[in-house]
Amino acid sequence: MSSFPVLRRVLQSRRRPLSIWTVALGGVCGMYTSLYPMMEKVNLQEMMEALPPAMVEALGYDDMTSAAGYVGSATYGLVAMALLLVFGIGNGAKILAGHEEAGDLELELTSPLSRQTIYAQRLAALWVQISVLVAMVLLVTLVLNAAQSLGIPLDDLMAGTLGLWLLTGLFGSLAFAVGAATGRRAVALGVAAGAAVVGWMFNAIGPTVGVDWMSAVSPLGWYMADNPLTRGFQPLGSSLLAVTTVVVLVAGWMRFLRRDLMT
Amino acid sequence: MASAVVKVRGLVKDYGRFRALRGVDLEVQQGEVFGFIGPNGAGKSTTIRCILDLLRPTEGSVEVLGTSDLRGHPEVRARVGYLPGELAMHGSSTVREHLAYLCELRQGRGAERVEELAARFGLDLDRRFRGLSKGNKQKVGVVQAFMHTPDLLILDEPTSGLDPLLQQEFLRLAREAHVGGATLLVSSHILSEVEAIAGRVAIIRAGAIVDVEDVAKLRERAGQHVTLTFDEPPSLEAFSALPGLEQVSVEGHTLSAVLHGAPDALLKEASRHTVTRWTAHDRNLEELFMDHYRPDGAASDGDRA
Repeated sequence: MSSFPVLRRVLQSRRRPLSIWTVALGGVCGMYTSLYPMMEKVNLQEMMEALPPAMVEALGYDDMTSAAGYVGSATYGLVAMALLLVFGIGNGAKILAGHEEAGDLELELTSPLSRQTIYAQRLAALWVQISVLVAMVLLVTLVLNAAQSLGIPLDDLMAGTLGLWLLTGLFGSLAFAVGAATGRRAVALGVAAGAAVVGWMFNAIGPTVGVDWMSAVSPLGWYMADNPLTRGFQPLGSSLLAVTTVVVLVAGWMRFLRRDLMT
Repeated sequence: MASAVVKVRGLVKDYGRFRALRGVDLEVQQGEVFGFIGPNGAGKSTTIRCILDLLRPTEGSVEVLGTSDLRGHPEVRARVGYLPGELAMHGSSTVREHLAYLCELRQGRGAERVEELAARFGLDLDRRFRGLSKGNKQKVGVVQAFMHTPDLLILDEPTSGLDPLLQQEFLRLAREAHVGGATLLVSSHILSEVEAIAGRVAIIRAGAIVDVEDVAKLRERAGQHVTLTFDEPPSLEAFSALPGLEQVSVEGHTLSAVLHGAPDALLKEASRHTVTRWTAHDRNLEELFMDHYRPDGAASDGDRA
């Protein structure tokens, strides 16, 4: 019963906000995904042609004819992703640096628990929450895929979900690690949110201006390129996401073990 | 011979270009109650946080309960109780839940004392953090510092926010811990807060220890403000000549002075006249500083002004 006290304590305090997030995220994803049959009827392709081609490409809306294309663009590639990144970055910045600034870490660090343990358990609390939310996105999509006979191949869906999980984990971990390194929640938020915005711009703008390296260096490129649900499992992209996460976390860890506690 | 439980040598702490500690030396012996006194901002909390490994010294060394590596010794941290100067308490959890959590961080140690300690301080365990008063927060801090019966208690301004009755209860608790063999390091910016329990006191000023002294000696050095009002104007000369009396002045029927040491001679001289009113109060630390610990370091110990 006395194992992982910090992890359990953090999750306990996050019960309410996490429930609200889970329900809201599930609802929004469900709404977007269930719009697809309607979209089919209004002849989406015609609508897309009315928009400037560069804009369509930047938004990732170039493939709206299939269910996978639509759900990949609208849900996995936009709404769910954006919401998950907001959650991951906000929570990553708060769960260590935010609590440190509030003074909550003082008694944990003077307890017999080591700094390593506190770092690991708070990080675990972040990943548990991200996993719950990503699982919700998957669940809603699975249900609607079956209920509305969308016909998104299961392996594509699983691959896209894995990517979404790794991507959210990366940016959440980045915020967490920067917070652990600096003890400053605002810095953590700024760095991670900035990186996410730049990553999104690189991935969106690169193809439209014909610069390949832009999406090649962007974590969003590793995750989806133009669509996360039509490309199957991406060994290279997934590895890049995972390795970058580990590097960022190790750097934050090393700094956290050595530095002064902020108040 | 008792051994040092806390040993601080040449501790320097810089924050950027600001030097918060300028070579602090401190030794707290096994089983003593050690007062750590200084004005706000002098470096008390910084020193304490270095001792606890919350801050990493720029220079110098810290040894606690025989180890200079508190980070690598969780079993030593388990023997320390710490009351932070400002205790963070947020969110919707109750006092009981929070204390249970802090016990869990110590493998459940201290859980059996929570009820008893809370009762002593009149702390309602079912209150929520949100809206807890400063005094109630301080009670939580005291309970969590003492609950696991640590060998070393490091208490940063323990009585701030406690009303006088609870301050007495705190002193009783501290004495019990002391009798039980614990060593206490108690900081305050008010001398009178620690003199009731401390044996020795270190005085810190602008990041350096300026004096380590027995409380009784320090109190004598600090002296008292004394005023005596007579039914006729008193003689300035007669009182000025008394031993231990300084800064003697007469205004109308009232004589005021600073008294060091026993008041016997003063009382005997005063009793030759009719005294209509008298006051005596301990001088505070700031006044002591003005007399004895000027920035140039010149201690005018015992000198007549």
